[in-house]
Amino acid sequence: MSVAEKKPRVIELDSLIGKRIPKMDAPEKASGRTRYIHDINLSGQLHGKILRSERIHALIKSIDTSAAKELPGVHVVITAADIPDQRPIGVARDHFPLKVGRVRSERDEIAAVAAETEEIAEAALKLIKVVYEDLPVISNPEDAIKPGAALIHPEPHGADGSHEHLKQGTTIAHKGKPDNVAMTFDYAHGDVVRGEAESDVVIEDTFKLHYVTHCCMGVSGMIAEFDASGNLLMYSNTQVPFLHKREFAEYLNMDPARIRIIQPPIGGGFGSKLDIYPFEVICLYLARAAKRPIKMLFTREEEFLASPTRQPVLLTLRSGCKKDGTLTFRQVHTLHDNGAYTSWGATTPFVMMQTFSSLYRVPHCDYHTAAVYTNNPYAGSFRGYGNLQATFAIEQHMDMLAEKIGMDPLAFRLKNAQDSGETTGQGMVFKSCGFKDCLTTAATRSDYTRKFKENAANRSKPGNIKRGVGMASMLHVGGGAKIYPSDGCGTILKMDDFANVTLITGASEIGQGSETVLSQLVCEELGLPISAITVVNNDTAITPWDVGVHASRTTFIAGNSAIGAAKKAKTKILAVAAKKYDCAESDLDLRGGFVIRAGSGEVVVELSKLLRNLHFQDKAELVMTTFYYEPPSVHQDKGFKGNVSAAYAWGTQVVEVEVDTDTGTVRMTKVTGAHDVGRVLNRLGIEGQIEGGVVMGQGYALTEDLMIENGVMKNPNFRDYKLVTAPEIPEMDISFIESMDGEGPQGAKGVGEAPSICIAAATANAIANATGVRMFELPFTPERVYRTLHGRTPKLYWKPWRAEQ
Amino acid sequence: MTELKHYFAPTSLDQAVECLKDGDVTILAGGTDLTPQSQAGRLKIKHTLMNIRHIPQLSGITLEGKEIRIGTLTTITEIMQHPLIRQHLPVLADACDHFASDQIRNAATLGGNICNASPAGDTLIPLLVLDASVELASMPEAKLYRHSMPLSTFFVGPGKTRRSLCELVTCIRIPLPAEGHVARFHKLGTRPALDISTISIGIAGTLKAGILSNVRVAFGAVAPTPVRASQTEKALEGQRLDAATIEKAAEVAHNEVKPIDDVRASAWYRKEMIHNITKRILSHVAQA
Ligand SMILES: Cc1cc2nc3c(=O)[nH]c(=O)nc-3n(C[C@H](O)[C@H](O)[C@H](O)COP(=O)(O)OP(=O)(O)OC[C@H]3O[C@@H](n4cnc5c(N)ncnc54)[C@H](O)[C@@H]3O)c2cc1C
Repeated sequence: MSVAEKKPRVIELDSLIGKRIPKMDAPEKASGRTRYIHDINLSGQLHGKILRSERIHALIKSIDTSAAKELPGVHVVITAADIPDQRPIGVARDHFPLKVGRVRSERDEIAAVAAETEEIAEAALKLIKVVYEDLPVISNPEDAIKPGAALIHPEPHGADGSHEHLKQGTTIAHKGKPDNVAMTFDYAHGDVVRGEAESDVVIEDTFKLHYVTHCCMGVSGMIAEFDASGNLLMYSNTQVPFLHKREFAEYLNMDPARIRIIQPPIGGGFGSKLDIYPFEVICLYLARAAKRPIKMLFTREEEFLASPTRQPVLLTLRSGCKKDGTLTFRQVHTLHDNGAYTSWGATTPFVMMQTFSSLYRVPHCDYHTAAVYTNNPYAGSFRGYGNLQATFAIEQHMDMLAEKIGMDPLAFRLKNAQDSGETTGQGMVFKSCGFKDCLTTAATRSDYTRKFKENAANRSKPGNIKRGVGMASMLHVGGGAKIYPSDGCGTILKMDDFANVTLITGASEIGQGSETVLSQLVCEELGLPISAITVVNNDTAITPWDVGVHASRTTFIAGNSAIGAAKKAKTKILAVAAKKYDCAESDLDLRGGFVIRAGSGEVVVELSKLLRNLHFQDKAELVMTTFYYEPPSVHQDKGFKGNVSAAYAWGTQVVEVEVDTDTGTVRMTKVTGAHDVGRVLNRLGIEGQIEGGVVMGQGYALTEDLMIENGVMKNPNFRDYKLVTAPEIPEMDISFIESMDGEGPQGAKGVGEAPSICIAAATANAIANATGVRMFELPFTPERVYRTLHGRTPKLYWKPWRAEQ
Repeated sequence: MTELKHYFAPTSLDQAVECLKDGDVTILAGGTDLTPQSQAGRLKIKHTLMNIRHIPQLSGITLEGKEIRIGTLTTITEIMQHPLIRQHLPVLADACDHFASDQIRNAATLGGNICNASPAGDTLIPLLVLDASVELASMPEAKLYRHSMPLSTFFVGPGKTRRSLCELVTCIRIPLPAEGHVARFHKLGTRPALDISTISIGIAGTLKAGILSNVRVAFGAVAPTPVRASQTEKALEGQRLDAATIEKAAEVAHNEVKPIDDVRASAWYRKEMIHNITKRILSHVAQA
């Protein structure tokens, strides 16, 4: 670092925390210079392409690849038969990358080609002949659980006619299952029967949540290469490089130590890159077979067809309260459409049940999920992780209960809202909790109560435009989450002879702004400007271990880890300076690139000068290593109870809409949000996170709909899959509640997922406020709203069902 | 993408129609339909791909006597911004303002929109109610031959027109509207930008002393082609736009269209919207 002014006598106290700091990768991205995986080409590379099923559910009778193999420019063509050591992959290890004997969904991978060009690879796919024998298609999860339903993963018969029987409730489906149930979750606290008996009002409704998908701007891709010694190098868009290394090693029967993953800048994640997908393993098979680097990129259509979706859910909620507004119980049954295979979507109940059990104080709660196999696409993890679905149901019931007992919806929520110090029925401990502040701030800033009353009164007045206002709140983990055996992250911090810092962190940057926030935390500690830091975060051969980007954990966990390293460096530097200038370490501090006197801010020495001297002496040791493991949080027990996170994030969003009753068009005019984020670190970054999340929630609520009919995706393109566009984005008023979490880095909590969670629920409440009509099914497209307003939507009802154990 | 055999970029109309003689030619204008359609495998590029963008005669907007001539290559952006259009044919500019996005509008041509013959083509509805005609050029013998036909007879089915394979669309002609001419366009979709119409409606006529005459009504996305609605026109012709007439016309319109279900909407919803939006447009005209 070079500091221009020669001898500033006194450096004023200043802080980077809470400032608006542009994302470090923004100039490169905005000027089109960022090199994504699409821009990387290795010499000698071939292009990989995958042949997908032409049928939804069928037996594969034969595959003929001979013509494809003969096409000039084709190097290898593989099918399951060529990979005798295939291992089942995925969260439940229930599918093979290349399908064996049977296809179960539209995306299913049958064969793969590596060729000189993409065009040749495409042409080769067309030459592969597959003979199928159709099987009945199950595209509705309710059909999948009917007695006698066709099985998606039936038990295979051995040559001698024997069965490899599995017990019911077992998840290893590739060996076959006697039913279509992929996973079940059952949770309870209290006694719902008693809760119901104590209730003055009880309501029950069914809610239906649809398919949407991440729509990352950068489509999926991978480049894989084995070197001459058999070491594997992958350029991959994964969010979880370290854990996936081990998983890839398992799938390839190789030593994980011989795998290196480099993550090029990623064009969007939002949870989609949390699992390993067939295309990645197939790319490795091709690289192994062709002995050449293989580049495999999805087309946009493939990205729609073969990426995970948000978990679609059918949910019946029964809730009760007393006349005085006290909640009494909640009973929840959900049917998760698992699709043909199991990915993270099936595990969304982990998050959903937290919202049901603990967003508000509920003395009695009973929760059940069955995730069942169908021939539909499979769901993965997606920003919010089930919380959008749970919140959609709960927050509509909050309004409906309030109405039944004639209570103001805000007062009803405040009466049942959590406070700090609370331990919930599920065992979550809320050390800091800004929930009530969120409620009152969002309500006050949006003038909720007045508008709510006025809109209701205006409903019957003439005119086709009806205004509505609705609120919803959310609870989400904000201090990491105990999903894996630990939640750690390591940091290496190096200081050079110009007082520049290199931060080597295990935390991946997937566009969320983590490298900027981590830089800010380190520079804050070392009294350096943000320009003094370089972040290295994308190579498993260099960076320390981390469990990946998920659960809004990076700022909290990696942030604490980075601060730890910076603190070590600071201690070292101050010790050296104290010795050299003959004073106590506590008399000194770092500020503005200088060692200063702590009290007066008076300059002692330029930091770069001190460090240069230090480098020329022995024992400089200016490389620091640290790790951070989450503060005591626990794994959930068998009953899903336990304090899984070190901190919890809260938020309330108020949505205002205009409903055109002639067309059913819902225009979102304003979103007022109040978020308990612990503390604002990078104001620009957090505003971007919130605004982006609101728009994602808006798409979920109003326009986005991945239409699946009989297992076939009807709209795998941006013409008919409608993302929100700029003119529809509402005005936003965002407030931050700074609850200063004791464990958080500088008091901060995670916020990545929070802003998209409430929007659909609040919009439903706003539509009800505007029109008096409740919407139980997403998305609120003009036609669906119009139909419902005209009484043409039959009342949804799904009779609660539990899988046998 | 289909493999290209021949690429030809003529610089005169004569060269272009000469090339079209054998019929095995795909015409490229802005390419905003051609590119996605050929990439998706829905359209096969023929022996020759002929780019007509270098033919100067095919561009520009001019006033010729009592007609406005719009060259086939005129882009949606140019139409939207042109003073002649804004002054005489504001309904066409309005439709262009609901068309795709800026990027697409800068490339998409009027002739391409017409020849693509989508039932949801957004310029087609205002052009129909403005009595536009299409001019086609060909070279049956050694000489350039031009002829015109009313746009209302041009469309045959989705993507199908009465243009023969050896013809090129050169321009669109629109008679200057008479005194008291009113025209409205409404496009309904899921979102205000970048959307294909769920339905669209164009209504035009001459409003004198509260009486509507010379009525033209056209609907988009409710039939295999953009359609004129003769029964709705009849229900309005010579009528005063009072509440009863408006309701009646909306009902006739509702019964006149026979849309289908697709990913964008159901037939039922489309019919409802034809009713409600027809009513809304007519009420606005009555109040204006
Ligand atoms: C993202 C996107 C959004 C869109 N949104 C809209 C929208 O909102 N509304 C709408 O109406 N359309 C929309 N379109 C469709 C398209 O942009 C229009 O139909 C456009 O007007 C086509 O013009 P073009 O010049 O690009 O045609 P091209 O793609 O070049 O050609 C279209 C067809 O017409 C033929 N053709 C072109 N010119 C002539 C000629 N002079 N003589 C004979 N044949 C000819 C071509 O051979 C081809 O078959 C959209 C397209 C995209 C990609």
